[in-house]
This record gives sequence, C-alpha cells and structure tokens, in this order.
Amino acid sequence: MSVSSFLAQTTTLVPPVEWAGIAPELPPTAMALALLLLAVARKRPELVSLPAALVGLGLGGWLITQDQIVPGAVAIGLGIVIPAAVFAFPRRQSMVRVFAAAASLVGALVLTVWQYATVLAPDLAVIVPQEALAGAVANDGIALFTRLTVYLTALLALPIGYGYLQDRRINKAEVEPLLLLTVVGMAALGTANDLITLFVALEVLSLALYVLASLARRDRRSQEAGLKYFVLGTVASTIMLYGMALTFVATGSVDLPGIGAAMGLVTTPELVSVLGLGLVTVGIGFKVSLVPFQFWTPDVYQGSPTNITGFMAAAVKAAGFAAILRLYLVAFDDLAAFWVPILAVFAALTMIYGAVVAIVQHDLKRILAYSSITHAGYATIGVVANSDAGLSSTLWYLLTYAIGTLGAFGCVIALERRRRGEVTLLDLRGLGRSSPALAGILALSLLSLAGIPGTAGFVGKLLVFQAGVASGLVWLVVIGVLSSVVAAFFYLRIAGTMFLEEPDPARGLPVVSTGLSFGVSVAATLVLYLGVFPQPILQIAESAAALVR
Amino acid sequence: MGLLSLTILIPAFGALVIAFLDRGDAVPKIVALVTSLAAFAASLAILGPFQMGEPGLQLTESLTWIPAIGASISLAVDGTSLALILLTTFLTPLIIIASWDSITDRVRGYLAAFLLLESAVLGVFAATDLLLFYVFFEVSLVPMYLIIGIWGGAARKAAAIKFFLYTLLGGLLMLVAILYLFSQTGSFAYADMLALELSVTEQRWLFAAFLIAFAVKVPLFPVHTWLPDAHTEAPTGGSVFLAGVLLKLGTFGLLRYALPFFPDATVEFAPWLLAISVVGILYGAVVALMQSDIKKLIAYSSVSHMGFVVLGTFALTTTATSASVVQMVNHGLSTGALFLLIGFLYERRHTRQIAAFGGLAKRIPMMAGLWLVVSLSSLALPGLNGFVGEFPILLGTFQTNRTAAVFATFGAILAALYLLWAYQRMFHGPLEGADNENTSDLKPREIGVLVPLVVVIVAIGLYPKPLYDLVEPSVDRVLAEVGVEGLIPGDGLAEPEGGDQ
Repeated sequence: MSVSSFLAQTTTLVPPVEWAGIAPELPPTAMALALLLLAVARKRPELVSLPAALVGLGLGGWLITQDQIVPGAVAIGLGIVIPAAVFAFPRRQSMVRVFAAAASLVGALVLTVWQYATVLAPDLAVIVPQEALAGAVANDGIALFTRLTVYLTALLALPIGYGYLQDRRINKAEVEPLLLLTVVGMAALGTANDLITLFVALEVLSLALYVLASLARRDRRSQEAGLKYFVLGTVASTIMLYGMALTFVATGSVDLPGIGAAMGLVTTPELVSVLGLGLVTVGIGFKVSLVPFQFWTPDVYQGSPTNITGFMAAAVKAAGFAAILRLYLVAFDDLAAFWVPILAVFAALTMIYGAVVAIVQHDLKRILAYSSITHAGYATIGVVANSDAGLSSTLWYLLTYAIGTLGAFGCVIALERRRRGEVTLLDLRGLGRSSPALAGILALSLLSLAGIPGTAGFVGKLLVFQAGVASGLVWLVVIGVLSSVVAAFFYLRIAGTMFLEEPDPARGLPVVSTGLSFGVSVAATLVLYLGVFPQPILQIAESAAALVR
Repeated sequence: MGLLSLTILIPAFGALVIAFLDRGDAVPKIVALVTSLAAFAASLAILGPFQMGEPGLQLTESLTWIPAIGASISLAVDGTSLALILLTTFLTPLIIIASWDSITDRVRGYLAAFLLLESAVLGVFAATDLLLFYVFFEVSLVPMYLIIGIWGGAARKAAAIKFFLYTLLGGLLMLVAILYLFSQTGSFAYADMLALELSVTEQRWLFAAFLIAFAVKVPLFPVHTWLPDAHTEAPTGGSVFLAGVLLKLGTFGLLRYALPFFPDATVEFAPWLLAISVVGILYGAVVALMQSDIKKLIAYSSVSHMGFVVLGTFALTTTATSASVVQMVNHGLSTGALFLLIGFLYERRHTRQIAAFGGLAKRIPMMAGLWLVVSLSSLALPGLNGFVGEFPILLGTFQTNRTAAVFATFGAILAALYLLWAYQRMFHGPLEGADNENTSDLKPREIGVLVPLVVVIVAIGLYPKPLYDLVEPSVDRVLAEVGVEGLIPGDGLAEPEGGDQ
C-alpha cells in the first residue's frame, strides 16, 4: 500500500480535526514533550534537538505551502530554537529550558492572536464564537482572554523565577515542562466546553501544580504545601466530579450548551441539578479559593517556591474563573436564581475575609495570599452580575490582577534571594531608598492591586463594580468598596514600609537578575499602560461577551 | 491643545523632567519653580478667553479616552473652578520657594510629588467627565500621602495612612454612586448626569454617598479627625497645599456635583448640613482655643473656617453661596500664609509649642507684623479678605436660617479669641530665654513668599468685586439647578457661549 493511500484511509477513519481551534495549545505541549526528552537524553542533547528541529522545520514548511503562514512560521521558529538554545548554552541546561519554554509560550501567544485575527474575529471587531473538536472546545471571548492571561503570565514567570530556582538549587529538569503542562491545562480549562474536557483540563493543571508546589524537596514548608494542596485539591476535584455526574444524570448531557438547554426543560429534575450545581460550586470554589473554601491558600502560597506561588496566584485564578464563567453562564444559566445569591454571599465573605485577615499578617507571601483571596471576591462580583458586562469585566479583571500579582511576587523573589528565607515587612524597610526601582515597581503593583486610578487594577475594579451596580447588586459593590479600603490599608502599609522608613544597613540589597528585572519591568509597564490607555484591550474584552451557548 | 489641558499638563511634565534629571538638587528646584510659574501663567491666560458673565461651563475641551466604558477626557471651567484653579497655581510656586532650603532629603522626589499633586488637583477642578474627575480626585491622594509620609514630622506614617484611607473610603463610596448614575445614563459626562431625573429616594442615597466623600475632604465635623494629624505632621509645603487647596476639593465637589445632581435631597438635607456646619464651626473653634501646639491650633481653625464655607453653601442663597466660594479662596490664602509663617518659625526654633515663645515681636518685628496681618485676615477683620467672605455668608444664612447664623457668629468671635490670644502669647509679653532672644527675623526669600500672599489678601479685602463677578454667575447657575434662587432654570443656561450682549 502506498503512503498516500494509507494517509487517505486514515483521514477517513479519524474525524477531521479543526487544528486552528486548539492551535495555541500545541506549541507548549510539544515543547513540554521535547524538554522532557531533552532531560532524558542528558549529555546527548543532539539526539533530541536535531529531530525536533527537523520536525519543526518540516511541519512549518508544509504549513506554509498550505498557506498557513503564521502557524508555519511558529513551527519553524520552535524547530530552530531548541538546537539554537542547546548550542548557545552548552553547559547550562536550565537556561536552555527557560529559553525553549519561553519561545513556545511566545508561539502560543502569536497563535492566539493569529486565531483571533483570522478565525474568531475576521473583521477585528466582533468575536464569532466557534466550536471545535466536536463541541468539546469552544473558541470565544473566554477562551481568548484566558489564553492571553495564562500564556502572558507564564511567559513573565519564567525569567522572573530563573535565578531564584538556581539559588535554591531546585532548577530541576521537570520544572519548565511541568509549567508548560500547567499552562496548557489552564488554557484548555478556558476553552473546555464539555464536562469531561473541563475535568481533564482541571486535573492536568492541578497535578502539575501539586508537583511544582513541592518542588523544594528539602524544604519542609514546600513539602507541606505540596501535600496539603494535593490532598485537599483531590478531595475538591472528587466532589466536583460527583457534581458533574449528578448534572449529567439530571440533564443527560455532558456538553455545557446541552446542559444549559436541558436545564430549561420541565422534565429535568430540579433537585438533582441543584445538587450537582452545589457540588460543582464547592469544587471550583476551592480552586479559586472562594471563602469558605480558601483554607489551603495561605499555607500553600507561603510554602511553595515563590515563583510558583506568583504564577499560581496569577494564572490559576484566571483559568478557574474562566471555568466558572462558562459553567454558570452557559450550563447553569437557568439555575441563576439559586447560584446568584449564594455566589454573591460567597463573594462578600471572600472580600471581607481576605482583606481583614491580611491586615494582621507579617509575612509578605501570606499577605499576598490573602490579597489573592480578596481578589477572587472582586472577580466573583462580575460573575454574579450575570450579564455581558459582568463577563467582560471579570475577564479584564483577571488579566489586570494576574499582571499586578506577578509583578508583586517578582519583587518578593528579589528580596527572598537576598535573605534565603521568608520575607517579612521588616525586610522592606527603606527599600525605596536602597533600591528605588524595585520598590517603585512593587509599589506600582500594589497600587494596581489596591485599585488606585492610573493603574490597570483601577480599571478592573471600576468595571466589575460597574457591572455589579448595573445588575442591581449595589450592596455587594458597597461591601467590595469597604473591603477595598481595608485592603488599601495593608497594601499601603507595605508601600509605607518601603518609602517612609529608613533602610536597615544590616540587611543587604535585594538580588535582581536580568531575567527578573525584565519580567517585573514588563509587568509594571503593562500595569501603567492598561491603566491609562485601556481602550484597545478593553474593546476586545467588550466583544468577548459572545459565548458558545 | 487648549489652555486648560496645558495648565494641567505643565506641572506633570515638569515632574517627569525632574524624575529624569541627574542627582543634583539645584537644577530640579529651578525646573520645578519654572514649571509651576508657567502653569500659573497659563492659568492666568485662561482669564483672557473666559466670558465673565457667562454662568455655564466654558472653554470646553474633549478627547476620546475609553469609549468602551463611555469615559472621555472632557475639561471645562466655570467661575468657581477658575477661581480655585488660580488659587492652586498661585500657591504652588510660593510653596516651592518656601521649601527651597527647608527640604534637604530627596529633593527631587519632593518637587515631583508636588507638581504631580498640582496637576491632579487642577484636573479635579477642570474635569467635566465624572470618571476623569474621580481619577484625578483619587490620584491626588498618592503624592500627598508621600509628601506627608516621607517629609513629615515624627508621627508622619500614621498620619499619612489615616489621610489616605479616610479619603479613599469616601471616594470609593462616591464611585459607587457615580456608577449608579452611569448605569442610568450610560455615560460619564457631567451634562448627561445633570439631565437625569432621579426619584427622591435615589437622590437621598446618592447625595449621601457624594456627601461622605466631600465631607471627609472638607472636613466636616464628625469625619474631620484625619485633618489635625495630617496638618501637624505634614511638612510646611504640604500643610499649605492641604489647607490651601486640597480641602477645597470637598467644598468644590459639593457645589459642582452634590447640589445640582440631587436638588431635592439638597433642599431636604440643607437644615441638617447647616446644623453640622455650625457644630463644626463651634467645635473647631473651641478645640483650637485649647491647643498648645500652634500648628494644631491652625489645623482646628481650618475645621472651623471650612464649616463657614459649608454653611454658606447650604444656605442656598446667592449671597451666602457665592461668598462661600470667595471664602474658599480666602481661607486658602490666609491659612496658607499662616502655615508658611509657622513653618518659618519652626525652622528657627524646632518647636511649635506656644508656651515656648514669648515677646518675639521685639526680636522679629517683620514676622510679627505679617503674622498679625494674616491672623486678622483669618479672623475676618473688615478691610481684609476674610471679612468679605465671612460676613456675606452670615448675612445670607441669616435670611434662610436665623438660628444657624446666630450660632455661627459665635464661631467668628471665638476665631478672634484663639488667633489673637495665640498671637499675644507668642509675640507679646516679656522676651525671655536665650531661644527667644536668638530667633532671627525673616530672610528675603521668606518675605518674598509672604508678600504676594499679603498683597492678594489686602487686595481682595479692599476690592472683592472682581472675585465676586467671577464666581457669582456660576453659583447662580448651581442654585438655579437646585431650584431655590438665582436664575430661573433654563434662563441663560441654554444660551450659546457669548456672555453679555
């Protein structure tokens, strides 16, 4: 049998795959695989890099002949980058991995934009939601924004964490591949349009994160963090799975639009579907640390290596909320009478709890952990607004939150590298004088998290509050406002310690590497840019409200 | 680019330049002075195209900003805002000269913070888009926080945080109200929100939200507690700007937004606000009387004097309400001058305890003389600027609410008591102690800062008509919106720009 007839036969057996629908996820996945193989090849990297280059170049060339210029260019670029990195850093395996992983993330971002420009919104104005892979994947506004947020976050987290991992001697071969797998899981969670894809995506990202959290094997706190996250996370996943099963029982459908349609029917048993909704809420509430499912957050955030914490705090929220938005607005739309009040109360509790408890903390990572809890509450306002404005405001909020959080954690890393231990408020004293640039970036990130005008965070808060008020949730917005004031207190306390106090000469200067300063500078620039000129991205967020229903 | 945006951008540009200058301190000082003077010149130039008799907002500028959420960069002025813009740009160069030698630590940061603060405040006065207004309103907090927190006194950190959080809380509640208005109109434009018809219940709640934001800023009686701390701990320049300009954001906001947006609620709550103002006037005065720290005394006197401004605003008569705008300017000038004098004295003696001074008039006659003039202006002596503001406020209030006016008058009497008593204890009596003996008189630079202030104080006192001509049409417009006095609604408002024909 000739090759061509074999190919023809297989294409009839395998259902056609809309590659464009999942294109952005392919580079990180492929790169994760290549990096793992590279780790296996150890001293003989050419055994991996050369075949990888061949595959990349071949695939890219073929794509270009098929008129797919952009994906072809990405494939060729990725094909070149592995041997190039191996050649450039023959003795620094971790540098090779960081460069290759970053390149694949750049590729993912390029493909995300390409997908937006050619497939989703050909006229660059209105997003036309599309299904792919027989309805398992939805390409719409949520998917677009989740991809942008998580790929960008990971791309910034890589250089920020490089020196830190080296300092702690935990720059193991599995770090970057796991990170890439996590990102792919997150992006898949943002696109998942049926319960099974959703659950698999959630588990991919969670499993990889459990390992990353316990990366520092010799550090007891990191072990504790990993174990705690794993045990509690598994329980939450199981509860969620049970909820999904009940939802399937009630509606007889696993794809979210189908569930949404079935929920509207009188034949659907309401009790079972509400039970399913409740259990799903518990599970997903755990992932994004909504009160009362937040107990794991401070310990896990504090114990995990700081670059992982920063990435986790920024990106898991984005992915988790993407799933929440899709679940509640598409599948459980008809049960809004049940989940809107419950989630609203959760949001209120989350905002208050996170802000109030953060006040009494001294460890910077714990403060930021509680701050991340508070922000989950704000993002939930956009969800319970249950409107297009709420949807786009949540997506925007998650993007701005992710950037601000990553900037803040980046600065914490610089401080931690100096001390090799936990970073408390005392370590920040007089930082505004001893290293003004770092202090400025940290202060800017905190101002953004506090929602002070001129920063991206302000526009985020403004939008979710606006959506809340427009949906008649004035009480919730007022609680959000009050908690913002409380939160501003602890953000200001950090800023005040840096700028209003004198430096302590006994403590050395923070260690800033090139990668770290690159990462945090980009984050700070984005915070300012999105704060002052939000229009371009905001317009995309506005049009992102179109969903696959 | 119009004159308004130019006035706002010049200081911000100066701050940017200073941020990129090299380490030396002399050049940044000159850059700061030049830019603040340029901003003053630009704001004076606004008077040229400004139509004096025209009540509405004029010199409109508009740029798209975030169309996705209906916000634009819209600027315009009326008489009230122009008066306050002039006050701001007038005070800033004086503050920079006054801080010339007294600030030695992180000079560049200090100057940049001041210029940014000036830009933000000018933006507040000129914005006619509610979101833009809110952004400027909140952005002004950050530089002031730094000015108090970095260059302030011993307890500066707590004072700075208190200042920030109080204002933030009020501001965010106002933001909720703004968002509610936005949900009704779909635009942040001032004119659109003004045109909105609201039910009385809605008006009550929204008025309350705006009131809290502005009452904290003014500050009105129960929420004034941040002010004495902030004033006492702030460096001299910070105190001057705080008293001179930042407090006016509150009274300006009441007049520009709270009154015309919620006329029914305004009329309904006016007696209560008159009562609160009177309590504030008397409380501030009595507490000022008991202070042993001269800076704290003036801080509490601010509470009392700003009470007069709110009293006049809510008397809702042309006389009283215009006078309260004039009094905003007057308070900025005289209290600003007092804080400058206190700062100069503090640089010489490093104490602010009244008891530490005595008989200084013999040793430093120049400072004593200026101190007396400024004190007399602050206690509303006829012939000086305080009188032309305070007297019409009381007069106008007397027409609408006799009781409030009578009680408020006691505040004026108490003002004479605490200011003159403090003057007497510090400058008269026997000259005792080596410290008092060795106090040196004002230097030419310091005199140069105070003379312009005193000249304006006397000028307004003798001939207040231009200032009244400037503010009265805009106040009439606001009162017409409230529906109590002034113009009949629609009259003069619908007319195109052009003023008196």
